[in-house]
Amino acid sequence: MLSMKNISKVFKTDLVETHALRDFNLEVAEGEFVAVTGPSGSGKTTFLNIAGLLEGFTQGDYFLDGVNISNMSDNKSAAIRNEKIGFIFQGFNLIPDLNLAENVEVPLRYRGFNAKERKRRVQKALEQVGLAARMKHLPSQLSGGQQQRVAIARALAGEPRFLLADEPTGNLDSMMARQVMELLEDINKAGTTIIMVTHDAELARRAQRNIQIVDGQVCDFTMYQSGEGHQGGERASEKPHLVTESHVSLNQDKVAS
Amino acid sequence: MFFYYLDLAWRSIKKTPLMSLLMVLAISIGIGITITTLNVYQLMSENPAGERSDKLVAVQLWSQGKDAWKEFNNQLTYQDAYNLRKSDVPVRQTAMFITGLALQTEDPDFVPLLESVRVTDSDFFDMFSVPFIYGKAWDKGVDTEALYQVVINEVLNKQLFSGEDSIGKTLYLDSKPYQIVGVTKTWSPSPLYFDVTTGAFKDSAQIFVPFSLAPIEEFQSWGNNQSWKRESINNYSQRLNSEMHWIQFWAEVQDDKQRDEYAQWLKRYVEQQQLIGRFDSPEAAAQLSNVAQWLELNEVVPEDNKILVGLSALFLVVCLVNMLGLLLAKFLKRAPEIGVRRAIGASRAQIFSQHMVEVGLIGFGGGVLGLVWAWVSLSLLSSRFDLEQSLTHLDTSMWLIAPVIAIFAALVAGTYPALRICSTNPSVHLKSQ
Repeated sequence: MLSMKNISKVFKTDLVETHALRDFNLEVAEGEFVAVTGPSGSGKTTFLNIAGLLEGFTQGDYFLDGVNISNMSDNKSAAIRNEKIGFIFQGFNLIPDLNLAENVEVPLRYRGFNAKERKRRVQKALEQVGLAARMKHLPSQLSGGQQQRVAIARALAGEPRFLLADEPTGNLDSMMARQVMELLEDINKAGTTIIMVTHDAELARRAQRNIQIVDGQVCDFTMYQSGEGHQGGERASEKPHLVTESHVSLNQDKVAS
Repeated sequence: MFFYYLDLAWRSIKKTPLMSLLMVLAISIGIGITITTLNVYQLMSENPAGERSDKLVAVQLWSQGKDAWKEFNNQLTYQDAYNLRKSDVPVRQTAMFITGLALQTEDPDFVPLLESVRVTDSDFFDMFSVPFIYGKAWDKGVDTEALYQVVINEVLNKQLFSGEDSIGKTLYLDSKPYQIVGVTKTWSPSPLYFDVTTGAFKDSAQIFVPFSLAPIEEFQSWGNNQSWKRESINNYSQRLNSEMHWIQFWAEVQDDKQRDEYAQWLKRYVEQQQLIGRFDSPEAAAQLSNVAQWLELNEVVPEDNKILVGLSALFLVVCLVNMLGLLLAKFLKRAPEIGVRRAIGASRAQIFSQHMVEVGLIGFGGGVLGLVWAWVSLSLLSSRFDLEQSLTHLDTSMWLIAPVIAIFAALVAGTYPALRICSTNPSVHLKSQ
């Protein structure tokens, strides 16, 4: 499903080169629920942005569904994002001026579905998250947990095969977080591959596989058997990778000058 | 998607009404000024003869002596006009000038009016495509055997006869009875190209009388009278035989061949006049100009007007620069939302289109408001400076031109802000929302 080989991502300024990802390798099989953890600044979000085709990378190969993503045009990557990938963000990122139905409808508009099909999918997605009755409400009229469920509905409306969640419960209280997590688990059970970045070790443990990123590299894999018959990912590294160098280097030429 | 973008644009405009209003105002002021100057320029530079422009030719003769002015005069002497009327080369021809006569009717209560009257030949009406609602021009025979006949226009006919068919009725000009033979529709080409001697942007006369009556009734010229020769003119007969230039002369030719034939005829006429001691300048010649050439020759559209249009276009550019700044601020403020849209599948092209539709909508609003400004400023020009109506009415073409210019200008101003917003990295804004 997702295959990253020797991916590097370097952010350059005049003085500093920051290696957000270095020789990053990861395989995610179809139907997996992978939790990504790691300290702040370790490269989790960069990994998620690259996985979601929101950012390019400096080196390496990235295959999504067998398609090589390297040097893909903006139109193509936008189409892949629209058709195959669903996003859930920590801050929900709903468009405040649009009501729930219109928010969920946005990706379907870009997909070119007709009005009837859009309506059907919006209805279905909002029913799935239990908010069909409030489709005319504005996001500001909902609680945080409800807004996140709308964001999930928006991600699901396009029936993606791949869901990327960046700390989806980060802004929610524990009860809301549990509800959202249960919803994600249900979605995963229905066959959607999920990669979730989280700081919450408890939530991470509920995923099938836990990946730890430290200083831009995959540090450890841990398999959790859910007993639900999912395929699960293969162990990619026998040992935790020990990071001994700083992932920020100074540009010596610039410094000297 | 266009209607979706239109819906988003309308929501965005409603969301920031003050900023949107400022942008609409900025572009509308620029458009208003541009359309005002463009409107005046267009009305001044219009060729009112249309397809007949090449067939109608103004006749000029270098008849003045060698010490006189060094250019063709716009008008002829009476004796030259009289002689030229005898040519059988052109299809039609007419001599003419403007006079002023006191108008009375048979109604004893009618207060006499001093009216401007065009003294002309019967061909005038066909040559310049004057439409009639009642009757027609006087017969051709009247051009040689004078009769007291008159053609009036629709406005005067309404004033005098309540708009009824007045053919055969009598009106009095300088106390002489004239029989009405024709009533024209309201007709006033702009510019009034067949007589630019007293200004090309005035209304046409309401009354037309036969040129053949001039020597009988001794009509005085209300137009320009130019003379290069010191002559004693004590009576009308002396005026008719003088070298004073006061008659306009136009001819109609079928095609270029006939125009050349007529030019040859005029050349021979000049030579004949030289033989009898007139036209003693070495530059003596005849010149024919079609309507377009005539308008250019007489600089009906002054160069200043072109400069004014250029300056107003520059002002529009200044307005657009202001609009660009406002758009940039507005669009970049929306970057987080655009980040979300990009993340969930919008391509750069789609985001660009969305913003260009919004810019186009603002431009359209500016265009419509600009038309209102143009209408207001033309009305003010008309009332404050007493300009002719023909120059200050908003031409119908401007109803289309203004929104098109406004939308185009707005799209030009909006391109950079739209490019900026669609090229922002979505991932930067997703985390920060």
